[in-house]
Amino acid sequence: MNILIPHKWLLDHLETDATPEQIQKYLSLSGPSVERIYDREGDRVYDIEVTTNRVDSMSVRGIAREAAVILKRAGIKAALKPAKLPSIKPTTKTFKPTAETIKPTAKNLPLPKIVNSPDLCNRILAVVLHGVEASPTPDWMTTRLKQVEQNIHNSMVDITNYITHDLGHPCHAFDYDKIMAKGGKIIVKEAKAGKKFVTLDEEKYQTLGGEIVFENQAGEIIDLPAVKGTKNTSVSNSTKNILLWIENLDAKKVRFASMSHAIRTVAAQLNEKNVDPHLGKSAMLKGIELYQQLTGAKMASELYDEFPHKVKLEPVTITHNKIYNYLGVELKAEEIKTILTDLGCKVEVKEGDGTKYDGTQYVVQPPTFRQDLQIPADIVEEIARIYGYHNLPSTLMTGPIPIHKPTDADFTSEDEMKNFLANIGWQEIYTYSAVSQEVALQSVHDIEKHLKLLNPLTEDHVYLRRSLIPSLSQAIKANPQRKNLSVFELTSTYQPQAGKLPSQDLKLGLVSSNNYRDFRRDVEALLSQFYIEEVIVGEEQKPESDFYQQQAPLLVKAEDEQMVELGAIYLLQNGLLGAQLDYQTLLKLARKYPHYQARTKTSTIIEDLTFTLKPNSKIGRVISSMAKAHELIKRVELKDSYQQNYTFTLCYQHPQKNLSTEDVQPVRKKVVATVKNNHDGELVGELK
Amino acid sequence: MNIQTLSQNIKQIKSQLQQENSSNQNLKTKYLGKKGLFNQLASQIKDLSPAEKPEAGKMLNQLKTEIEQYLSQSKQNADLKQKKIDLTMPASKTKAGHTHPITQAMAEITDIFKRIGFTRVRYPEVDWDWYAFESLNMPQDHPARDEWETFFVDADQHPKKGKMVLIPHTSNGQVREMERLGEPPIRMINIARCDRRQQDATHTQVFHQFEGLVVDKGINIQHLKGTIDHFAKEFYGPNAKSRIRPFHFKFTEPSFEVDFSCHICGGTGFVKDENGQKKECKFCKSGWHEVGGAGMVHPNVLKAGGIDPEKYTGFAFGWGVERTYTLREGLNIDDIRLLYSADLNFLEQF
Repeated sequence: MNILIPHKWLLDHLETDATPEQIQKYLSLSGPSVERIYDREGDRVYDIEVTTNRVDSMSVRGIAREAAVILKRAGIKAALKPAKLPSIKPTTKTFKPTAETIKPTAKNLPLPKIVNSPDLCNRILAVVLHGVEASPTPDWMTTRLKQVEQNIHNSMVDITNYITHDLGHPCHAFDYDKIMAKGGKIIVKEAKAGKKFVTLDEEKYQTLGGEIVFENQAGEIIDLPAVKGTKNTSVSNSTKNILLWIENLDAKKVRFASMSHAIRTVAAQLNEKNVDPHLGKSAMLKGIELYQQLTGAKMASELYDEFPHKVKLEPVTITHNKIYNYLGVELKAEEIKTILTDLGCKVEVKEGDGTKYDGTQYVVQPPTFRQDLQIPADIVEEIARIYGYHNLPSTLMTGPIPIHKPTDADFTSEDEMKNFLANIGWQEIYTYSAVSQEVALQSVHDIEKHLKLLNPLTEDHVYLRRSLIPSLSQAIKANPQRKNLSVFELTSTYQPQAGKLPSQDLKLGLVSSNNYRDFRRDVEALLSQFYIEEVIVGEEQKPESDFYQQQAPLLVKAEDEQMVELGAIYLLQNGLLGAQLDYQTLLKLARKYPHYQARTKTSTIIEDLTFTLKPNSKIGRVISSMAKAHELIKRVELKDSYQQNYTFTLCYQHPQKNLSTEDVQPVRKKVVATVKNNHDGELVGELK
Repeated sequence: MNIQTLSQNIKQIKSQLQQENSSNQNLKTKYLGKKGLFNQLASQIKDLSPAEKPEAGKMLNQLKTEIEQYLSQSKQNADLKQKKIDLTMPASKTKAGHTHPITQAMAEITDIFKRIGFTRVRYPEVDWDWYAFESLNMPQDHPARDEWETFFVDADQHPKKGKMVLIPHTSNGQVREMERLGEPPIRMINIARCDRRQQDATHTQVFHQFEGLVVDKGINIQHLKGTIDHFAKEFYGPNAKSRIRPFHFKFTEPSFEVDFSCHICGGTGFVKDENGQKKECKFCKSGWHEVGGAGMVHPNVLKAGGIDPEKYTGFAFGWGVERTYTLREGLNIDDIRLLYSADLNFLEQF
């Protein structure tokens, strides 16, 4: 959360010589981060990020308190000014008001009857102020509120915002007469479900049950405390008397109410983070003073203060050694004590064996506004940041280097794979893992087989994809001006598994608008980089969805000569070609280096044979048959084709001897016979 | 005419040919043209006796071949000498594609940490709430969770590990790595795709993070600073500076915000405008860029991973890959969504 702090306002609470730039620098290094300084309404205004655990710093005074400690440490004169508050003796529930506790007033107005539930509410402070006017807010206050980007209403409303910003405890002004007209009773309770209420900005809500609300005797909600006021009791221009009110509620319940109704007021954001209830009285006194000064109000009741849950923080014990372990430098015991004392803690130093600091312990009692200090590491943070992270040396670790690598990943191979594809003309893209219903259905024609997001942000990212191909196809279609575009992505797909996380194995998706032979050339070239040489397209299968015209498994030979399914190859309905390979399988088959084979010293004979094949012939199958026709055939490749004529290049080699033309003759005959018998293909020309 | 005169004539033609200027374009006509020297000689073959004719035929054929070879050779030589190249001709287009900038960044990041003993790992991107939050000292409904705008998956809850989520950060790898190794030393770098419910010019629903985790005896804040400095100088150059400032995360204590110095204003927070006047640098926050969080691993997180926090300490950091990458000089990408588009005009630049 960011808070805006005008420099002059800060000086209300901080005595210092520091320049705004020094304050920015040192606060940022050791405390809340001063992100920027604005020039606004004649002052420098700090824009400060306060972390969620430091609600005590969400006010001008809170920042001043931090700055006093931090600047002092940086060698700049700085001190927190004592709070200047009027002395009004509060009543407690059992305390009878006396004449001196009440300021002179036109008349006495009784407080409404307050029925607290101590389990829900740590503290209630209340006072009736008589004779307020919705007068214009004075310039000095409007300037400050504008500097911190608060809207200006009138003094009656603005005072509560001012106090909240100044001291950090939200407060609320009820229209006293409305409260009294509703029966003059405020009951603190947990709401039942289904009760209606209207907030002061006229928004209608209904309780879910479990919110803390204020109700009157009749069970009507008269406030959503710590979050936002309700219309039926809030002040208006005609308000004459107010009930100035501060409550300190169970923070979790405040958060529940604020989050579930999406009412994220400043008050709610503070109250959900455990505002220190001990701060309440200062805020109340400041409020009374300002109402008296700015609206001519008079105190018309005693100051009510019910405080069933005072903050009792456990002291934290930390050893000197632990501090050293975290910092890597040893601070003197006195220095540690000074830092913590400056921050408002009480510190008891328990000496160890007396020889050195060994065994020394610090018993640290945090102040009530530092409920975040709970364990030794919290104390370490305080010491380290005030000592200054920038004052600690920077060194690399010594010690053993872990050697147990995960077995299911090879990031070097992944990079090699990506770089190789890029180098042969493929573009890598990153697409979203959650896709629209339409795209999900393209991968599998059953939406139930997809995992779905419960809270998608947009309709195009709802289902966790089972295939990369549809996303990659979209990518190609998004670049219609590009001819022969090939794109790839290496990432997870998600297959649901009952009662378990989905399997999220990595897939390499490849989609191209190139022709089939070039597409396949690239896929095989990639595999060849990993010494996977024998790639076969298996029997065509029924496509997984209507998105595909054709689909066939991609098989490769493993070391044990078994054919392993590596993925599938697709012809899409839109004419694109695709393949998706399973990365884990690929990793298992891939090699970093080849099996070296001694060079064959005998020479090879290479010749071309042309066949006329039937229109429905599968060329891949013809080549396999030819290659298997005789053991002297080393290689068969498709060289060229024209209409139904296909020219193949055959390579013959004998491991021991150089082949003669006569040796090749029977082999060639075998090939021609095989093509004739298995594929009804005719040799073009004469068989020699 | 007899075979001897023919032989002499052939010799004469050959020596004449040797003396020709090779650049002469008319040689072919002169020697092999219709009325060229060869045909003039060949026409005389009719005067020879039938017994001499076959021999003469062979001689003439050989002559013709030699002339042709000579002419073709001299033409080639002439071509080589004469054909100049226009050195200003533009290059033809390369066929190479490109790896994605995120891939390039991740490879570099991996390499930088590998050099100081980190092991790269990969953990599920759809994971249980336990690893994403609960084990990281972030109970259900804690306000600290607000910053992680998390996507939940419509699936049965795990009896112990809770809801299924798309990881909103790579910190789910922390306890998973502790579980994998069982005990320190740990030096992990976990890079993964993350998702958050956010979308504007500086945020996409999908993004990448890299997470460092070091756990061992005697690990302290100085080691975190050393590691961050190492990365800053390797990734941004030797002049890059880094710093840590106080921050708050539930899973680290103490927690830090990590800043790298701004290269646009040299870390000063001010640049000169077109008139040479000093003005605030719009690119950074007062000379620094926040890159992400870091901290000393919270004792509760070590405990959740089965490691004794009295014996071991550790540090962790988690930063956005996109953020870290685009802070480089010249990579001020104005719309981060381009990274996840298939816009070739954009991607081809990398």
